[in-house]
Amino acid sequence: MSLVVDVLSGAVRGGTSVMYAGLGETVSEKAGVVNLGTEGCMLVGALAGFATAHATGSPWLGVLAAVVGGAALALVHAVLVVTRGANQFASGLTLLFLALGLTSLYGSDFVGKEINALNPIAIPGLSDIPVLGPVLFDQDALTYLSYLAAPALWYLMARTRPGLLLRTAGERAEVLTVHGYRTTTTRYAAVVAGGALAGIGGAHLSIAYAQSWFENMIVGRGFIAVALVIFASWQPLRVMAGAYLFGAALALSPALQARGVGINQFALDVLPFLVTLLVLAFLGRRTLMNAPDELRRVFDNTATT
Amino acid sequence: MTATTEAPPSPPAPSPEPAAAPRWRGVAEAATRWAVAVLGAVIVFGAILVSKGANPVTVFADAWQATLLNGYAVQQILIKAGPLALGALAVVVPSRAGLVNVGGEGQIIIGAVAAGGLDLALGDTLPGPLMLLVMLVGGLAAGAAWAGIAAAMRLLVSVNEAVTTLLLNYVALDLLLALIYQPWKDPDGSGQPASRPVEEAAKMPVFSGTQVHVGLALVVLAAVGVWAVFRYTAWGFRLQAVGGNPEAARRAGLPVTRLLLSAMLVGGALAGLAGAIHLTGVEYQLRPGFAAQIGYLGFLASWLAKHRPGPVLLASVVLAALAVAGDSLQIDSGLPAATANILAGLILVAVLGWTGTRKKGATS
Repeated sequence: MSLVVDVLSGAVRGGTSVMYAGLGETVSEKAGVVNLGTEGCMLVGALAGFATAHATGSPWLGVLAAVVGGAALALVHAVLVVTRGANQFASGLTLLFLALGLTSLYGSDFVGKEINALNPIAIPGLSDIPVLGPVLFDQDALTYLSYLAAPALWYLMARTRPGLLLRTAGERAEVLTVHGYRTTTTRYAAVVAGGALAGIGGAHLSIAYAQSWFENMIVGRGFIAVALVIFASWQPLRVMAGAYLFGAALALSPALQARGVGINQFALDVLPFLVTLLVLAFLGRRTLMNAPDELRRVFDNTATT
Repeated sequence: MTATTEAPPSPPAPSPEPAAAPRWRGVAEAATRWAVAVLGAVIVFGAILVSKGANPVTVFADAWQATLLNGYAVQQILIKAGPLALGALAVVVPSRAGLVNVGGEGQIIIGAVAAGGLDLALGDTLPGPLMLLVMLVGGLAAGAAWAGIAAAMRLLVSVNEAVTTLLLNYVALDLLLALIYQPWKDPDGSGQPASRPVEEAAKMPVFSGTQVHVGLALVVLAAVGVWAVFRYTAWGFRLQAVGGNPEAARRAGLPVTRLLLSAMLVGGALAGLAGAIHLTGVEYQLRPGFAAQIGYLGFLASWLAKHRPGPVLLASVVLAALAVAGDSLQIDSGLPAATANILAGLILVAVLGWTGTRKKGATS
């Protein structure tokens, strides 16, 4: 029983950073741009957030800095891909490299430092509900915010005019042109907003989840977020569910180890990646039918220059 | 059948000869753009160093001295450039067919794991050279199989290979760690998680008096082979036709699925071979930091060289030099070794943004 609670609350805690990044990637991909640099945006967000929180003492200023940092890195991707027509996968990977180097250079001063972290806040009343209480209502503030983020993003994309423009840029870019909008502007906005969300994801990791900074601390979560968006068929609410699935796979390892179950740690560490691959294998073809048209072009034929 | 309008059949590979008169202007223009791009990257990198309180001139001078003017470091660069170049060729072959293989890192690890596993299993039952051959072939096959997973997912369920190869990198790394922390851990070792060293007789021979091993000859051979395959064989030609326009290739009756699969398998095989060579020629044992980002650097090298085998060798040496310089930075200037990644990243940003042919509004 308590194993279930441990894994589920760990799923929510551990899945939140991936959810933010996945939501960001959804925005970007809906406009027709894949950003493998999401991993890099998370790294930059994690460091910018941690460093700012350390310098100012305010975790929320940290989150703000993470937004700026993630957006700034994504802007480079936007310039390369949207303006210069560079290959999206190559550009994204390049960003990751840049982020790895930059965060390791600037982050070396912050290893082992402490901050005013975002600690879990139990919501009176609600947190006493059996199972659901500790799982959903004994979390940090960024996690509570994420409960709203996914539905809000869904509303924004499905029901508002900016959302419509965004989807059009991803489905049939020429329609935007016909109606006097600029595809480039829309895509820039989407990629940068996506980077900002990924930055928040990184900040959740450094300010709330691990409450510390260390080199290369994202270890693949950004890539998982990219995969997540595919099997969530570009729908924010499914991204949310997928992120918790990832979080559960992540939480299983410490929960089992705390109970003295002797399984090779790395066999458990690999679970999130295996689960992601398996789900992709089973849902891949079906969800790809829902891919934005411009995006499918990117996925189907990635030319060589 | 001119499917490859943007990638002209690769120019004479290893050393780009001075081009004929009509092309001279174009070459000069490209060279200028490259120079500006690299210079821009170096300047930005210098500014970053300044912001960190380091003197860029000293850093560059130190790095220069510690790498290129130092015989030991030059050997380090060469033995690092070898697997890196194979890792880059593992990107080159699929990319000619329009596939993005970001899984070099994982394929290198799996290649090394297979080679190491064969060594552990067979011990000294085989004569040394034969054992070495078995390990190399084993690594090659394992790398191909690992890439085959991503290829199968692309071809059977249309999941993009860039995403799956990336995820498989992490699976490969965890597999390596799981093995060397428990079942394969060297009982006579220092307590560090690492497998026992490769049998002495099965190690790659080195040029006497140096650390440079003969596996590097294999690397050059592979580069020439890849170049020749795309230049002279029907398979290479068809692959590029698929890369240029898969739909046209399909209608022309080419077996697109089989071609894509084979491109990915060959790519994985090259990376797997890189892993086996790195194990038998340099590392001798599997340890946690075994691959050291060689696969990712190979990806950058392939894109820097625009997927041409000759320039890939050059780009690999440059990136290997950067990586070695990064290690020296750590010692001389107290900057983290990963700092060199910034320069590598900046150069590729510049190359992607300012030396490519701009495609109007395209997002391919």
